[in-house]
Amino acid sequence: MFDSALPILLFVLVATLLPIGMLLGPRILAPRRQTAVKAMPYESGMDPIHDTRRRFDVRFHLLAIDFLVFDVELLFLYPWAVARGNASSGVDRAVAANLIDGRGIVFVGAMVFIGLLLAGFIYTWRKGVFEWR
Amino acid sequence: MDPNAAYTSAAGVLQLIPEMIVVGGAVFVFVGGTFAKSKTAWSWVAAAGLAAAGLALWTQKVPGGFAGPIAVDALGYTLRWLVLLLGGVFVLALARPAAAGQAPEVTGSLLLAIAGGMIVSVSGELVLLFVALETISIPTYVLLYVGRKDSASQESAAKYFFLSILSSAVTLYGFCFLYGVTGSTHLAEIARVLQNTSVAAVADWGPLPDLALVLIFVGLAFKIAAAPFHFYAPDVYQGTTHENAMLLAVLPKVAGIAALIRVTTLAMPLAAGTGWRIALFLAVVTMTVGNMTALWQKNVRRLLAYSSIAHAGYLLIGLAAGFAATLGPQGSRPEEGLGASVFYLVVYAFSTAGAFAALAYLGSPERQVDTVAELAGLGRTRPVSAAALAVFMFSLAGVPPLAGFWGKLSLFLSALDVRSSPGLGASRQTWFIVLAVIGALNAAVAATYYLRVVATMYFLPPAKEPRAEGGGAVRTAGGLCLVAVLLIGLLLGPMLIQATQDAVQASAPVPPPKPAQQAQIDGAPPSIVR
Repeated sequence: MFDSALPILLFVLVATLLPIGMLLGPRILAPRRQTAVKAMPYESGMDPIHDTRRRFDVRFHLLAIDFLVFDVELLFLYPWAVARGNASSGVDRAVAANLIDGRGIVFVGAMVFIGLLLAGFIYTWRKGVFEWR
Repeated sequence: MDPNAAYTSAAGVLQLIPEMIVVGGAVFVFVGGTFAKSKTAWSWVAAAGLAAAGLALWTQKVPGGFAGPIAVDALGYTLRWLVLLLGGVFVLALARPAAAGQAPEVTGSLLLAIAGGMIVSVSGELVLLFVALETISIPTYVLLYVGRKDSASQESAAKYFFLSILSSAVTLYGFCFLYGVTGSTHLAEIARVLQNTSVAAVADWGPLPDLALVLIFVGLAFKIAAAPFHFYAPDVYQGTTHENAMLLAVLPKVAGIAALIRVTTLAMPLAAGTGWRIALFLAVVTMTVGNMTALWQKNVRRLLAYSSIAHAGYLLIGLAAGFAATLGPQGSRPEEGLGASVFYLVVYAFSTAGAFAALAYLGSPERQVDTVAELAGLGRTRPVSAAALAVFMFSLAGVPPLAGFWGKLSLFLSALDVRSSPGLGASRQTWFIVLAVIGALNAAVAATYYLRVVATMYFLPPAKEPRAEGGGAVRTAGGLCLVAVLLIGLLLGPMLIQATQDAVQASAPVPPPKPAQQAQIDGAPPSIVR
């Protein structure tokens, strides 16, 4: 009973101590020179408390969408990179367990995925998302 | 498929070649559109892509069963053909709006939505099914929004977006429970686990299979616009174009019914006792609400929206009958109701797509037909278009000898064929007789507003000069639908009903359990019966 709850207990402990530490640490260590800009949560960013319908530059939106292209790419390629050389629970194990019929299909799948993302990248590129007009 | 084949095998993946061609076409259109500035070429590319996909589908073998996550069975094959043929109609109908706006984006999104519909048809696995449903939804948001700047279309796109997300979330929640109960996302495995009706297993599950069923039903009821989850449809259709409304009225409905048949009816026989009640209740409410509200509509897209809601109710009759028949008694044929639903999908899709195509043709790019009154006197000024629209209306109303008649006939017959099993649930047969009667009454009520459109066209003096500037492509789309409706009505109806029923019968994931075993779990939740 206790064994199975231990990770949760540790999680709760870390989740409690981490923010307390992050709040206390700067309070003890950091120099205090309060100005109006310093008091903002993000010194160089937007004012976080404002009307939700405030306008902001649409170019940020396009960049955010384009960021997703690379974000999703990482999401899929990182597990692939980890699994391909991992003997105990990787691609070879899946082949041995007859879950996939060979390493080739994994490679082709990843390549198709990269190809689709590349197409999305070319699309945004040609649409001029990277030109800061 | 080869039982020793790996779960994800090259042979299984190659079954998806038609879908790959369509997706490849979409990618080509999206990327190519940024290099070449042509407005009209992309519809031709899309048409060529669909033709190539059709060719690939034609040469494909139908081994039956599953190739890993892909259901390579007759049901999937039938539905893929339906979606592909409808895709041709959509590409034709949207050719003109695409050329007027952002052609590559419109055409590419349309191709992706068609590919999504085809993948839903062959999904034998919950994750694949969900991804496929989203592959339909996400390009549809783009289609609703792109190229139009008025506030009505923005409202329409936003409403559809939020409702669609909500429905996806609810569906996914249901899938989670299904996975939690069975420990698998594969439909064959889910069906196998849920057929284990031992006391311990059933007590262990509690109400979870039923809960999963209800959530999946609610989520997909949004997709097929069944009452009480229908309220977004009239607003969205009214705010958009006839061409977009055609896509919205047809593609999500095909996908939703396909998903419902695959996940609930074929894979969850244990929950059938709850299932037929939900489907029957939804069918009655949806038919009645749709038809009664349609009576008051003056806007023609709102009218067709409520008509499409009512037809979702008819489609659910077959589902309810299929569910009830899985409970026995011996000799019951679940495929009768389910096949009738699939056949009705074909009939409904071509009739509705044709009606929207005819209305799109009668308008002009600047001003589309909005009210029924604008159709006045069309019988004299535009006799061919008026005749085509009348045929579609008669087909939707279910007047013989058109396609809609065979559809309604097969649905009502399947409801009347449901038999009670001995013991619990003896009232089932009565319920289905009531359902068939309500369905028939609804068909009579529905005829009122369909005939009102026809009467407006033929018996009222022309209101103003009809425009009929929709273009040749959408006229061809309407013509194809007309051919389909007449062909099914006059020649192919009974044959196609038989074919869809055979297809469904060949596609159950596991053989249905013995009726004696089923009789016990009929009616009440199993844990109470034992």
